[in-house]
Amino acid sequence: MNRKILAIAPLLVFAFVCVFLYQGLFSNPREIQTGRLGQEMPAFNLPDLMQDNKQWTNESLKGEVYLLNVWGTWCPTCLVELGYLTKLREQGVKIIGLYYVQGYDADFDGPFDMQSLRSEVTDMLQRAGDPYQFNILDLHRTLSLDLGVSGAPETFLVDKNGTILLHHTGDINPRVWRAKFAPIMQELK
Amino acid sequence: MKWLLLTLSLFVSTGAFAQQDRYQFDNNKQAILFEELTKELRCPKCQNQNIADSDAIVAKDLRDKVLILVKEGKSKDEVIDYMIDRFGYFVHYDPPVTPATLVLWVLPVLIVIVGFGFIVIRQRKASVKQTWSSDDEMLLAKLIDENKRQGQS
Repeated sequence: MNRKILAIAPLLVFAFVCVFLYQGLFSNPREIQTGRLGQEMPAFNLPDLMQDNKQWTNESLKGEVYLLNVWGTWCPTCLVELGYLTKLREQGVKIIGLYYVQGYDADFDGPFDMQSLRSEVTDMLQRAGDPYQFNILDLHRTLSLDLGVSGAPETFLVDKNGTILLHHTGDINPRVWRAKFAPIMQELK
Repeated sequence: MKWLLLTLSLFVSTGAFAQQDRYQFDNNKQAILFEELTKELRCPKCQNQNIADSDAIVAKDLRDKVLILVKEGKSKDEVIDYMIDRFGYFVHYDPPVTPATLVLWVLPVLIVIVGFGFIVIRQRKASVKQTWSSDDEMLLAKLIDENKRQGQS
C-alpha cells in the first residue's frame, strides 16, 4: 500500500506542476490592482481639460456612479476603446476622463502647450467618438499616482459615495465589460 | 608602474555615482536611503525592473515622489507603505507574509523536512530488516571457507 502511494507520488507532483503552469499561461501579469480598492477616491483638486477656471474635486464627483477612464491622445489602445466607451455612454453610463499627460519634457517635446493639447484632444474625440462627460487634466499625474495608475488606458468604477469598486488595466471591450463591469453595475442599480 | 595604474584606473567604473548626481540631497543619509528605496521598489509598468532602472513615466514619477518623501524625513518603511497604499504589494520586491504568499515561505521548508524525514524513515526500515540467524552464520562461514581455498590455490 505504502509503495503504491510512493509510486504515484511523482505523477501527482507532475500533475500539480502541469495545472500550475497551465494557469500561468492565461494569467496576465499586467492585471495589477490599485491599493485603493474599496477605499474612497483620494482627495484632489484639478482643472478641467477644456474649460479655463473650472476645477474638479473628489467631492464634486460624488452622487453618481461613474467610470473614471485614464487616457491620453498619445496612447493607441485608448483610441481603440473610445468607440466602445461611446456606445456605453449612449446606454447611460457616466464616463469621466482623467487625462494622463505623457511626461512632457522641455528638451524633448518642448514646453507644455494647453492650446495644442486641446486641439489634439478635440480632433481625436471627433474622429473616434467622445464618451466623456468632461475631462480632468492631470498635468503632473498626481491623482494618477494617488490612484496607483501605471499607464493608460486604465479605468476605475466608482460608486455614489465615491468608493472605488473596480480597477481595470487595459482597454474596455465588450468581453471585459460583460465579465467585470456589468455584474457590478447591475448590483448598483 | 605609474602608467599601469593610470591604465587600470580607466577601467574603474564611476557609474555608481551617476544617480546621485542627478538628484540633490541635504545629507548623505538621504542619498543612501533614496538609492535603497529606488532599488527595492518595483516599477508597475516595466515589470521586473526596479524604479531606479526603469525609464517608464510612472517609474520617474515614483522616483520623484520617493525623493520628496525622503527629503521630508520619512523613514524607509513609511515610504514603502505610502507606495503600497497606492500600487498594492506588487510595488515592493519583498512581499509580506499573507495567506496568499505563505506558500512561498512554507513550501521550501516543507520540502526539506519531508526530504529529511524520508531519508530517516528509510534508514530505520533498512536497519530493522537486518535479521541474523544461525543458518546465516553457517552460510557465511562456508562462503568464507570456500573463498579462502580459492585464494590459496
